Formats: sequence, C-alpha cells, structure tokens
Amino acid sequence: MASRLAVFAIAVASAVAVTIAVASSASAQNADAIKARKEILKSFGAANKEPGAMAKGEAKFDLAKVQAALAAFEAGAAKLPPLFGEDAKTGGDTEALAAIWDNKKDFDERFVKLAAAAKAAKGTITDELAFVDGWPKLISENCSSCHKLYRKPK
Amino acid sequence: MAVASQDASTAIAWDLPTRLFHWTLAALVLLAWVSFQYAEQIGDFRLRWHRANGVAIIVLLVWRVIWGFAGSSTARFATFLYSPLAAARYAGSLVAGRTRRFLGHNPLGAYMVVTLLVVALAQATLGLFTVEHNDIAAGPLYRLVSEEATKLASRWHRLAFYYVLLPAIGLHVTAIILYKVLKAEPLIGAMLTGRKPVSPSQAGTGGALEDATTADIPPRPLARAALILAIASAVVLGPVYTISGRIY
Repeated sequence: MASRLAVFAIAVASAVAVTIAVASSASAQNADAIKARKEILKSFGAANKEPGAMAKGEAKFDLAKVQAALAAFEAGAAKLPPLFGEDAKTGGDTEALAAIWDNKKDFDERFVKLAAAAKAAKGTITDELAFVDGWPKLISENCSSCHKLYRKPK
Repeated sequence: MAVASQDASTAIAWDLPTRLFHWTLAALVLLAWVSFQYAEQIGDFRLRWHRANGVAIIVLLVWRVIWGFAGSSTARFATFLYSPLAAARYAGSLVAGRTRRFLGHNPLGAYMVVTLLVVALAQATLGLFTVEHNDIAAGPLYRLVSEEATKLASRWHRLAFYYVLLPAIGLHVTAIILYKVLKAEPLIGAMLTGRKPVSPSQAGTGGALEDATTADIPPRPLARAALILAIASAVVLGPVYTISGRIY
C-alpha cells in the first residue's frame, strides 16, 4: 500500500515537474518572439516619428529621414510574420490580439503588402509634394488599418 | 380647412430650428463614426471629414445651448430643467403605470436630453486634442497640451464613444420606442412635424398635457436661429482658428 502510494506520489510529482518544464520552456520561447517583434514594431514607431512630425506640419520635410523610415519598414516587415507563431500568443505585455491567429493568412499578407508598399514608396515619395499625399495613405493603409484589427487599442 | 382641423387636434411642441438641430446632430454623430471607421475606404487618410464633422458638432451644440436661452418655450432650459425630485416622482408614476403627458420634455426625458448634450459636447471637445495613433492626423488643438495629454485625450475619445455616448444614445432611442409601443406616444412624429396630439384619446393613454398647451415660439424663428448659428460659429471657429491656424 505504502509503495503504491509512493509510486502515485512520484507519478504526480513528475507530471507536475514535466508540466512546469514544458510551460516554462514554452513561455521562454514566447518571450523571445514577443520581445523581438515588439522591438521591430517599436523601431517602426521610432522611424515614423520624424515623418509623423512632418506630416502634422511640426517639422520641415526631410527626404533622407522619410527614405530611412521606408527602408526600416521594408526590412522589418519581412522578419515579422514568423514572430507571431502559435506559441507566441500571450505574455510579455504583448498588445497582439487573438484575432491575429484567427486570421493568420490575412495578417501575414499584410506584412508582404507593407514591404511592397514601402519599397514602392521609396521610388514615388521623392519630394515634399508626393510626401504630403503619399505618406498618410501609406501609413493609413498599412499601419492604422492593421492596428485597428489586430492590436489592443491604446 | 384642413390646417385648422389639424391645429385643433394637435399642438405645436417643437419649433422648426429645434427639430432641424435634433436631426442634424443625429446625422453628424452617425457620420462622425462612419468617417472614422471607414476613413481608409473613402480615401480620407488625414481624417479631414471626421475632424470637420467634429467641429461642426461643437458649433451645433453651442447653438443649442444659446437656443436653450433664446429659443421657444419648450426648447428653453428654464422650462424643462426639473428638480431631481420631480424626475423621481415622474419615474415613480411610470413604474406605477400611470401616464403623465407633457408638451415639451417630461421631467425624466429632460435629464436624458441634458446628458446627451453634455456627453456629445465632451466627446467632440476631446476630439480637438487627439492625435491619430500613427501620427497621420490630429485635432486642431492638440499642440496646446503635452504629448501625454494628447494620448489620454485620444484614449478617452475612443472609450467615451463606446462606453458613454453609444449607451446614452441607445437608452434614448429605447425610451422613445417604449413610449410609442407601450403608451402610444408619437414622439418621433412630434420631432418630425413639431406637433403632439392634444387630447388623451389621440395619444392612446394618459391625461391632458401637464406643462403647457402650446409652445411659445418667438417671431421669425428661422432668422433668429440663423443669427444664433452665426454667433455659435464665431464662438467656436474663432478661437480654434486663432490658436491653430485652421478651423478643423
């Protein structure tokens, strides 16, 4: 009886240990992906800071900064889809909504679209006139529209 | 005469400017939502429509506040601001199933109206200080406050719409429908035609009108309303333009 109890206790203990190990390794995996994608998206925000100020009329138009932001969007967009894996839905103060994984195909395609749009804009936004109309369109169609669906509202 | 017989069975409750105000406000609130929600689809990336719409709502609400002092009797605050006790008594009679009829706002409805005006004004005013979260559009007065404050204003502008303004509108519309269904009070019709049935029989249930038998409308109400609209526009657009260099 005592040995049965011991076997049972060991079984329970191992199950708990395995659960904790799996859970912690999963959350560690989560944490890396979430941290990496947050950094890329934050770098988008930082890249948008100057052009955003230009768009609102606070800063003088500076083509180099606009082109740098476009390059950052293009490079970062390619890296983002794999960072939104099934194991990276929660944790790490993520603002990602569950809707991402319900519409993963659409979500992933948005980054392809963003990269293509940023690349194209490098060729079309070459002066202030093109920026005034082109920038809000680019940001609205690629950033705001995606945030509306897939990011926790601020 | 057809007009005379209509006059005998119904009484003027709402002047034309008040009715125009009501339906214009309803339309602008709906358009404010549409112009934000579908900004991308309509190609309005800088939210020009939404911003102009919001400033127009503020002008309209300032007009209504002035009209509340200078309009016809049923539109004046002094006429329809009942005490909380009066509102509670009215609510009590509603619960008890007794119908008390009013030409203007009933004591409880008056609080609904004031709530809607205050909430809509607060919501539209918050909009002046918001910044779209990707920096492509901003309300005309956002530079008056800190970046932190614009973020707060933007957050409240969103939350207030979903959790305060929409529920308030829902309550208002539900009450109007219930009056129609349960008490046969044609309140929507009154806000369209300006007239309410005089005798209880035509209103289905309930007694005679308690507050007044007819609205006291000042001479040339439309001209007066237009003048007040000019004043309201100057009061709102003047400072906004002076501060920001744009009117929306």
